[in-house]
Amino acid sequence: MGRHVLAIGLRAAASLLAVSALAFLVIAFMPSDPVMIAIRAWNLPADPETIAGLRAQWGLDGPLPARYLRWLAGFVTGDWGRTFRTGEPVLAEFAARLPLSLSIGLGGLAFACVAAVPIGFAAALRPEGAADRASRLLAVTVQAVPAFWLGLVLVWVLGVKLRVIQPFSGGPTIVLLAAGLVALHSAGMFARVYRRDLIEQTGQPHFRTALAKGLDRRRALWRHGHRGAIYAMLSAVRSEAGWAIGTTAALEVLFGLPGISQFLVQSISARDFFVLQAYVMVVAVWMLAVNGAIELAVRRLDPRWRESQS
Amino acid sequence: MRRGAVLAVALAALALAGAVWQPHDPDAVDMLARHAAPSLSHPLGTDHLGRDLASRMLVAAWRTGLVVVIVGAIGLAGGSALGTIAAILGGWRERLILRGAELFIVVPTLVWALTAAALFGLSPLTAGVALGLAGVGPYALFSNALTHRVLGQPFVLAATALGAARLRLMLRHVLPNTLPLIFAYVGSQAGQSVIAYASLAFIGLGADPSKPDWGSMLYEYRMFVFDRPMLTIWPGLAIAAVTWTLNRIFDPPTAAASGGAGLNRGRRRPS
Repeated sequence: MGRHVLAIGLRAAASLLAVSALAFLVIAFMPSDPVMIAIRAWNLPADPETIAGLRAQWGLDGPLPARYLRWLAGFVTGDWGRTFRTGEPVLAEFAARLPLSLSIGLGGLAFACVAAVPIGFAAALRPEGAADRASRLLAVTVQAVPAFWLGLVLVWVLGVKLRVIQPFSGGPTIVLLAAGLVALHSAGMFARVYRRDLIEQTGQPHFRTALAKGLDRRRALWRHGHRGAIYAMLSAVRSEAGWAIGTTAALEVLFGLPGISQFLVQSISARDFFVLQAYVMVVAVWMLAVNGAIELAVRRLDPRWRESQS
Repeated sequence: MRRGAVLAVALAALALAGAVWQPHDPDAVDMLARHAAPSLSHPLGTDHLGRDLASRMLVAAWRTGLVVVIVGAIGLAGGSALGTIAAILGGWRERLILRGAELFIVVPTLVWALTAAALFGLSPLTAGVALGLAGVGPYALFSNALTHRVLGQPFVLAATALGAARLRLMLRHVLPNTLPLIFAYVGSQAGQSVIAYASLAFIGLGADPSKPDWGSMLYEYRMFVFDRPMLTIWPGLAIAAVTWTLNRIFDPPTAAASGGAGLNRGRRRPS
């Protein structure tokens, strides 16, 4: 087990390094000069000394590889630079906002996993039955309708017509609503994946054996299909994690929730490149952590993996 | 399928019409006609500045259409080229290309596009190029796997035995067999690019506020959801209609019945 953790960690670190270099390269091609923007933002005199001083302070002098190494050293040691807008350290700003974004994104994903199992199971129990049709409708709908628009419609229905929530208040109800909207999309997708894997297994010999032993379809599916379908669903979580980040970003903007994406949007008007770079890194860490956790979970739970490893 | 095709043609015609003609100037402010109800001259009414909603919707349709086409073209060309070239090169160069493609999956497409929009501004061109390039990774992996499958077929082995050159082999025997499947895969993601572009415009990094997009309209009109919900309903319906149609064309109900993104799934091989 320890060996796998180490291998996954090393692979993730390598990916992170490559992503950071790529992001650094893209951001270095930024058409506008951050130093000039900062000088304007802070009302500094635009003389050569100030410019050279700021350049040296931010490590903008020197060739690109040297700048990258300097930034990397700072990033690893927790010095993510300072924002132009507030002058606070970027790391502190992100640390303050990350819990909110994580609870929307990861909370939504977790909630979707829990909700998808009963939906998918009911759908697989009677293909083309009411539950199956409803879950298909859910999947087709959430694929076509952006979550932030659904959020707007909900604001109208719940906030204006029924008056049960206070939209744009940023309260816990709104965070819950945002997590629910992330969950809705993911639950639709997960339920279909879970259902399909269950149905696939009904054609397998072991399933027919279970039926021949006298189990009814419900028990046979649960006892002999559920575990395999969970692994299939966990693989779907991987591709859904990226989608959840995008949805979280749009929902933060919609509801005015102070998460990392809203912070990015506020910082970009100041061309705050430290924040942009940090944002890409935080998202990459998030994705790699989800991927690693799922890989470990599958390895740990799936007997097929344990057999092939030992 | 039939209904989907009809709807697709209608939507494409609307988008093309929006490129060249609108009933009113989409940016003409008319403070006397604010929040006008739908009428003959303003089929969908006007917004808080008296701008004609239908005209803005038409321009936005054209801009969204552009994004879909650019993303699709880059995905198809880039993905198939990278995947096929990697398979034909083989060895460490193939591993390098595939690792690079995997790298783009680590950071979600939308975040790459957000970065690009923040740096270069948001227009259908920049958004299309950014979403297209950032999405090439999965297509390259997919086309690489397909190419390997085709390269193992007897007719390819026969062509190799007859001494066909690599380039000829690729153009005559491999690509004609892989391209339709890659096209289907790229197409199945086309609906996602509509939502991604709408999200980008809604988040609004580097967007030009004078240019109407469905996403930016939703952002602009979100404050009027209390009094004028129709302002937000129309752009949302447009996004949903286009996405649904694209999903339906490229992912016929038989595939949808078994879970949607049919090609997307697949358990990782033990590495």
